[in-house]
Amino acid sequence: MIATLPIKPDELREIPVFHRLPDEPVHSLVAVMVRRHYAPGQVIFLEGEQANSLWFVSEGRVKIIKHSLNGRVQGLCLMNRGKCFGSCPLFDMENNPATAQALDNVTLFVLPGEALQQLKGRDPHLVKALLHIYSQRLEHLARVSEVLGSWTVSDRINDCLLTYANREGQQSYVELTQEKLAAMVGTVREVVTRHLRSLEREGIVRNETGRIIILNADALLPPCGCEDRRTPA
Amino acid sequence: MLADYAAGVDLYHQGDPPTALYVLQTGRVKLYRQSRENCQILALPLPGDFLGAESLPTGAPSPYSATTLTAAAAAHLTPDALQVLLDELPDFQEVFLKLITNRLKQFVTLVHDLAFRDVTSRLAMVLLVRAEAEGQPHDEGIVFERLLSQQEFADMVGTAREVVYRTFKKFEDDDLVHLTRTSILIRDLETLRTIALQEAR
Repeated sequence: MIATLPIKPDELREIPVFHRLPDEPVHSLVAVMVRRHYAPGQVIFLEGEQANSLWFVSEGRVKIIKHSLNGRVQGLCLMNRGKCFGSCPLFDMENNPATAQALDNVTLFVLPGEALQQLKGRDPHLVKALLHIYSQRLEHLARVSEVLGSWTVSDRINDCLLTYANREGQQSYVELTQEKLAAMVGTVREVVTRHLRSLEREGIVRNETGRIIILNADALLPPCGCEDRRTPA
Repeated sequence: MLADYAAGVDLYHQGDPPTALYVLQTGRVKLYRQSRENCQILALPLPGDFLGAESLPTGAPSPYSATTLTAAAAAHLTPDALQVLLDELPDFQEVFLKLITNRLKQFVTLVHDLAFRDVTSRLAMVLLVRAEAEGQPHDEGIVFERLLSQQEFADMVGTAREVVYRTFKKFEDDDLVHLTRTSILIRDLETLRTIALQEAR
């Protein structure tokens, strides 16, 4: 994380929500915003940490992921150029509801929560921009909810395989019996058998005695709200 | 503008242009998203809650539908009137931002539950949340209006009707819950809470 050059007004206007923002608020924004760079894989913030900034993607892509209490990871979406995330420092959402991690070399514009609070009292244009961001986020979350709620048995089996995969060098494998898998997903063994066979035919897994080798983990990712979900490795 | 609605009436549809802002006065409404064969209930606002107009700031289509579950009364502000207020009263922008934030937080929780809790704990969570928001004391526990069909419970937890039926049966066999056609009695809130908070996945 290296702080660098100040942000130029034109660069800020490349972020869609700021496209039509008048000069004055743009100048007050660039005066308080910070440019930051992250390397691939670097964590930008962690779920549960205090949320204190609004982040805008200038270059690269950011993965938003959630962790369960058991350490299970669920990818929620991918934020690319122009997108805004971490939009929870206002009002009473104190902690980040998810983790953000750089997928490539990422450049972000950061708006500290405190500065934002001060600015928004003075400038209705900024509140309008915030409303825009929140409204977009709401639409996105509604879509993610629907997709997560509509997972089929096959999606859940795939999800289970990814969750319980062990890694050995380059190879990922799952050591679970078909009965166990069926019980975890809430189905019967025959359904699991049939699904694993069809995955094998498609070259996504190889079924061996006592274990399932995962050949193509990306193909097992269940659907989520983003069409571009499958791009992250 | 105040209006009365019969049960089963759509206030607005997913895909509609930005909708009016409603305040529910009496009765109940479900907010849901529907795709070809699936329905996901996103929220069950209570009287006093605001709904609608979430997509007005972007001008995008409404991200979900709202349909009454019971006879209901709601006041609403048309999108045009709302836009005028937003343009002219900066304080009102703050209020509206707060409304959208609340809905956003609700969806964040829903996404977490759908991603990490299994059907049993999700159904327990739905019952727990409703018991805490709507429950009335009863000799044997806490009681609240049933409001939803088995299919609608399935639409809330993201599963099939048969699975909800089986899960309710299990809750009843374990003496946690008693279901009638019109009401739900929670006999053992603490056990239900333990089940609701389990993260299976």
